[in-house]
Amino acid sequence: MENGNDYSHQKWNFRGNEELNTASISVRGVLNTLAKNLNSDDPRPTIMLGRGDPTEFAAFRTAPPAADAVSDALQSFKFNSYCPTGGVLEARRAIAEHLSRNLSVQLLPEDVYLTVGCTQAIEIIVSVLARPGANILLPKPGYPQYEARASFDHLEVRHFDLIPEKGWEVDLDSVEALADNNTAAIVVINPSNPCGNVFTYQHLEKIAETAKKLGIFVISDEVYGGLAFGSNPFVPMGKFSSIVPVLTLGSISKTWIVPGWRLGWIVKSDPNGILEKTGIVDSIKNYLDITCDPATFVQGAIPQIIKRTKESFFSNIIGIMREAVDMLYDMINEIPCLTCPNKPEGSMVVLVKLDLSALEGIDDDVQFCLELSKEESVIVLPGVTVGLKNWLRITFAVELEVLKEGLQRIKAFSQRHAKKQLEYQRQYPQRLSRSETNLRRRIMSECFLPGLQE
Amino acid sequence: MENKWNFQGNGELKAAPGITIRGVLSNIMQNLNKDDQRPIIPLGHGDPSAFPCFRTSLSAEDAMVDSVRSGKFNCYSPSVGILPARKAVADYLSKDLPYKLSPDDVYLTIGCTQAIEVVLTAISLSNPVANILLPRPGFPFYDVRAACSNLEVRRYDLLPEQGWEVDFEALEELADENTVAMVIINPGNPCGNVYTSQHMKKIAETARKLGIIVISDEVYDHLTFASTPFVPMGTFGSIAPVLTLGSISKRWIVPGWRLGWIVTCDPNAILQQTGIMKSITGCLEVSTDAPTFIQAAIPQIIENTKEDFFLKIVEILRGAADICFDKLNEMPFITCPSKPEGSMFVMVKLNLSLLDDISDDVEFSLKLAREESVIVLPGVTVGLKNWLRITFACDHSSLEDGLGRIKGFCERHAKKE
Repeated sequence: MENGNDYSHQKWNFRGNEELNTASISVRGVLNTLAKNLNSDDPRPTIMLGRGDPTEFAAFRTAPPAADAVSDALQSFKFNSYCPTGGVLEARRAIAEHLSRNLSVQLLPEDVYLTVGCTQAIEIIVSVLARPGANILLPKPGYPQYEARASFDHLEVRHFDLIPEKGWEVDLDSVEALADNNTAAIVVINPSNPCGNVFTYQHLEKIAETAKKLGIFVISDEVYGGLAFGSNPFVPMGKFSSIVPVLTLGSISKTWIVPGWRLGWIVKSDPNGILEKTGIVDSIKNYLDITCDPATFVQGAIPQIIKRTKESFFSNIIGIMREAVDMLYDMINEIPCLTCPNKPEGSMVVLVKLDLSALEGIDDDVQFCLELSKEESVIVLPGVTVGLKNWLRITFAVELEVLKEGLQRIKAFSQRHAKKQLEYQRQYPQRLSRSETNLRRRIMSECFLPGLQE
Repeated sequence: MENKWNFQGNGELKAAPGITIRGVLSNIMQNLNKDDQRPIIPLGHGDPSAFPCFRTSLSAEDAMVDSVRSGKFNCYSPSVGILPARKAVADYLSKDLPYKLSPDDVYLTIGCTQAIEVVLTAISLSNPVANILLPRPGFPFYDVRAACSNLEVRRYDLLPEQGWEVDFEALEELADENTVAMVIINPGNPCGNVYTSQHMKKIAETARKLGIIVISDEVYDHLTFASTPFVPMGTFGSIAPVLTLGSISKRWIVPGWRLGWIVTCDPNAILQQTGIMKSITGCLEVSTDAPTFIQAAIPQIIENTKEDFFLKIVEILRGAADICFDKLNEMPFITCPSKPEGSMFVMVKLNLSLLDDISDDVEFSLKLAREESVIVLPGVTVGLKNWLRITFACDHSSLEDGLGRIKGFCERHAKKE
């Protein structure tokens, strides 16, 4: 007789997917794994320098008018419904006007598609381009969510290099060598995550011309577009839309310090209508029809968020970033095993090079980060996650006191592990513990950028 | 010379991937007569949030305002959602179940829309030749998302003469060794029915026999206004594993707030053991999340919303269902096989033989929009040609107005003797 709980003969028709079980967004997954190696006996607070999310710090609190705008939109009773495909018209118009200030061509509301953060903008673009056989060009080092999503949608990716000796400029020769007839687009992240540079006008123009020559369009990830604080001003890729079609990705997350509000966009800069003719626009619209939308009342708040936030809010944030960058650059330069070849000019993160020859018993960036986590309760991101082994990605969007403390602990760690005399080396070999070896294996498996696996 | 461009849109996406309710309604609305001074009566979509009588609870609004003003929830969220919100949803749903859910059973999503996206994608990735069983009539978003994931769909019938219950014979005939799950929608969209406990137990036993998951879309949970109470499918989770999909959108009348969930009602942990939950969390990892501050408001929204808000909404719906059923029964041109007991919709059959120049449900809807500024959804959208899905989630006077206009329209188009 069948018993409700007797499953001994029960056959179930479903199984999970092994591929999906291991693929996760590398940054989140790697940081979680590093956090597992924290020493719970360390009374000091953990210092998170692995991710650009400064929302916990009072100095980075969002502009008060932004929260007001969201409350007003909510209580207006006008934005509790489903929104139209593409987003609430007033929000699309406000973003079009806002972005047009820095462009030569006026954007229309129809050129703006609202998304659930820049994260979803990436999801949508990758899905739209994922035809069998197609490929896209991604920067290395880069932002691994592109790779994660492409892998998920079976879209082939090819990596071009960013050149550290040239301020992280795009290696245009490698771009031309990689592209073929199936290449659809090139992704440029400006200001750069993870490198922290801001591209010059001339270099962006060259990228546009190269893309045109190759018959591909540019996906310009400008999520850090409001955070340029160095000598290079930020130039939107849309400025070159007469040369090549551009899809710009952005959001309010970084500029307004509200990543948890999930409001982003895909903006079309394409005066020659090429994206229409090739069916890209229809694909985007059709995908938007069948996916989830940002909260309607957050969309409804956008016009007021943009209008009522004072310039002083932005200049204040930029001021903090400048100070933080100065401090970071100076302190990194005092640490023998670390070099910062390019002082960051934008974004919230910077790549710092690890000189393993100056260290004892630390074989690579992953080990450095695992041990740093355990010994100093500081989390930084191993560069292998973003495509550059033996570099570190460090965020400086942190309260200055906390950043200083974090860098001091990194310095202490480096000194403790500095290479000593040969005799000492033989006496005290350092090894990863078994649990650390497992954690390390986990991190490596989450970094599926090709050519970087052990 | 014109530049040669190497890219084109995704073939599957270039053409609209299927029928969506939004798409069909937008086409119908293009046929509205701009010179008609009368207000448009929207009886096609499931969103009464614009009507003042359906305004959400002020406690819910306050909770949301508090959350955004606190400034404490502007950060990124973990991919499965923040713990206090998951716990609140677990406790809330556990009240109606014979066992207690843990926060780990709850995965927060951007509305029920994303819950459907994630579950279907996870299933499609689990087996390249997997198929799922969808009800007909049903909710076309399932078909559209399945098509996106190359997941084969097989449709089983709901029986109008039996209160839209599941046709078990048809169901069992459709299932094979690649069938992974069956979807039920209870309370029913588009049919407005509410399943009895006995019927749901039979669904669970059938699923068990077939070795499949029951995906129970309970987005209209608790919106019942007749004698059959709402019983969550999770009640029978020990017979067959249940994935419950839901959101705050319908019960709180806030579809624009985009907060939903996937919940495992599976005391025997079959979903974990077979690895399906890893696929689901894997999908969530590479997807965007619900806004953190909206998640953070959930505990307060659930705790502070008073019972009389829910009772008020149910009362409005009950009255509206009565009006709808009575008025439709007066029209020989339309047959309403069963009085709606829940959700916001009713499926009604068109008696085209009594109408003169109207060939099908689409033509009916287009002409109705043009001549009377009333919007209804042609049944072909939900899988039943020559039926209509009519929403009664409307303020009563607009509903009476709209139904009156439908009657006038039918009489004007009646076949002359």
